[in-house]
Amino acid sequence: MVGDTSAKAIRVVGLSKRYGGVAAVDDLSFEVRAGAVTGFLGPNGAGKTTTLRILLGLARPTAGDATIFGQPFAALADPARTVGASLEISGLHPGRSGRNHLRSLAVLAGLPASRVDEVLKLVEMTGAANRRAGKYSMGMRQRLALAATLLGDPKLLVLDEPGNGLDPQGIRWLRDFLRAIAAEGRTVLISSHVLSEVAQTVDDVIVIHHGRLVDEGPVDRLSGPQRVSVRSPRLADLAAAIERAGAQVSRGEEGVLIVSGLSAAQVGDLAFSAGLPLHELAPHAASLEEVFLQMTSDEPVGEHSPDALPPGAA
Amino acid sequence: MSRVLRSELLKLRTTRTALGFAVAGVLLVLLFVLVGVLAGNPRTIADKRAILSIGDPLAVVLLLFGVVGATAEYRHRTVAAGALVVPSRLRLSIGRMVAYGLAGVAVGALMLVVAFAIGIPLLAGKSGPALVGSDYVRAIGGSLLACGLAAMLGVAVGVLIANQVAAVVGTLVFLFVADPLIVAASADVGKFLFGSALMAVGGRGNGGHRLAFGPAVAVIIAWTVLALAVAGWVDKRRDIA
Ligand SMILES: Nc1ncnc2c1ncn2[C@@H]1O[C@H](COP(=O)(O)OP(=O)(O)OP(=O)(O)O)[C@@H](O)[C@H]1O
Ligand SMILES: [Mg+2]
Repeated sequence: MVGDTSAKAIRVVGLSKRYGGVAAVDDLSFEVRAGAVTGFLGPNGAGKTTTLRILLGLARPTAGDATIFGQPFAALADPARTVGASLEISGLHPGRSGRNHLRSLAVLAGLPASRVDEVLKLVEMTGAANRRAGKYSMGMRQRLALAATLLGDPKLLVLDEPGNGLDPQGIRWLRDFLRAIAAEGRTVLISSHVLSEVAQTVDDVIVIHHGRLVDEGPVDRLSGPQRVSVRSPRLADLAAAIERAGAQVSRGEEGVLIVSGLSAAQVGDLAFSAGLPLHELAPHAASLEEVFLQMTSDEPVGEHSPDALPPGAA
Repeated sequence: MSRVLRSELLKLRTTRTALGFAVAGVLLVLLFVLVGVLAGNPRTIADKRAILSIGDPLAVVLLLFGVVGATAEYRHRTVAAGALVVPSRLRLSIGRMVAYGLAGVAVGALMLVVAFAIGIPLLAGKSGPALVGSDYVRAIGGSLLACGLAAMLGVAVGVLIANQVAAVVGTLVFLFVADPLIVAASADVGKFLFGSALMAVGGRGNGGHRLAFGPAVAVIIAWTVLALAVAGWVDKRRDIA
């Protein structure tokens, strides 16, 4: 069972994949905890799909290993009941109905035909299931791909950009859907190039860029140190009081201090005990998106000198 | 294996590809029998038997059926869906080959019904010796065998090449350009090519430089096994999406 949360559902060690001169994945190592929802993040071309394809035995690595519950995918005794996976571009014959597509997979996995109707219901695709897949919208294809991943009722789901092509309702539906899946104690690895799409759903994140690991850990850690903005008519006194308490202050806009190192409550208490009036007090977390962009920006690599750009050109 | 086979048979039934090839086959058989009887004026037993041995023209259609079916898996990326359930791609390919072989036999049987339904009444009006039971058995057995083997060989070729357009064009070029050229250059070598061997099994018997029925069957099976072995090796190393 997935109860043992210390167990590793996925382990990737020293994984590399080269396509000609391009290192799509470059000495990548990470682990995915069983029972957690992990976001696999990185900008376009970071190597997410390539990593997942290797993990699922669809592509051969140039070097390194990727295992699922301790075994390479090809060695799993019953893949369909262990891992449900959907790739970026789901394979569908345009002339075959969604239901028949799922039926062929159910037969292949030795699952009863009734399971097809169950998963179609789960993804709310029962109505369109008998239409030819060539006529499906992007969102319908994504739902059908999700349905396929659920056929074997697997304990691990690997989803490559399942939100691609979904409209805002679809994204919300997907989020609720993933929450429900996770609540059942399943392990989910979900890739995305948009952090906000998965930030509310995931427990952990793995961030890669240029095929390399950039960060790995609980999602709350990724949000960075919290800052607090305060507005007060006695700004200088307040700044001095905060600095005496060992926190850092910087000037924000006119009449505003940005405090780091103290929570909003601590700043409020401090001002109260110093007898200083506060007109505004707001916790101000750096958005995940900001942190993510910072981590995966190319600037530190210095491919082109920032001096070459006029100020504010970015 | 039976799961793979059942899944492949289900897939065959749930697109229009097989139907399309069956329709093409019916048209080809109609043309073949009508032209053969009305324009060819068959008199000898061999001539008449050839009219009903539709495996020869049909084998090409079924070879292409296998090629198109197998490459469609790569083209529409359904190979990956299968490989996520059964990681051994060789098992999947073998199951697919057997399924297409059975489908080839089924299509062949349908075509034989058509050929016999028109051909026998038409041939009855022709002069010369009439066909006997063994001639019919030979025409039926050879045609069914040629159709089944051709579809299987087509799947192996499709798995090997994967790119649909390249595989179809390559097969046609081989059958209609390379095969005749090699036969013209050396009939002793040419008769061992699968195109000639398929004709020897399904068609006009061992006239001229063709192999006899039994050896021709063995040659086609050998080609199919060889193609599958190479395809399996290539496919295992191939990255699929
Ligand atoms: N089959 C291939 N042949 C050549 N290069 C490839 C192939 N597949 C991927 N690449 C390259 O490998 C790199 C990583 O691609 P990958 O598709 O894994 O990125 P990704 O993180 O999934 O991006 P996205 O968010 O756009 O889906 C890219 O530079 C891409 O061009
Ligand atoms: Mg991708």
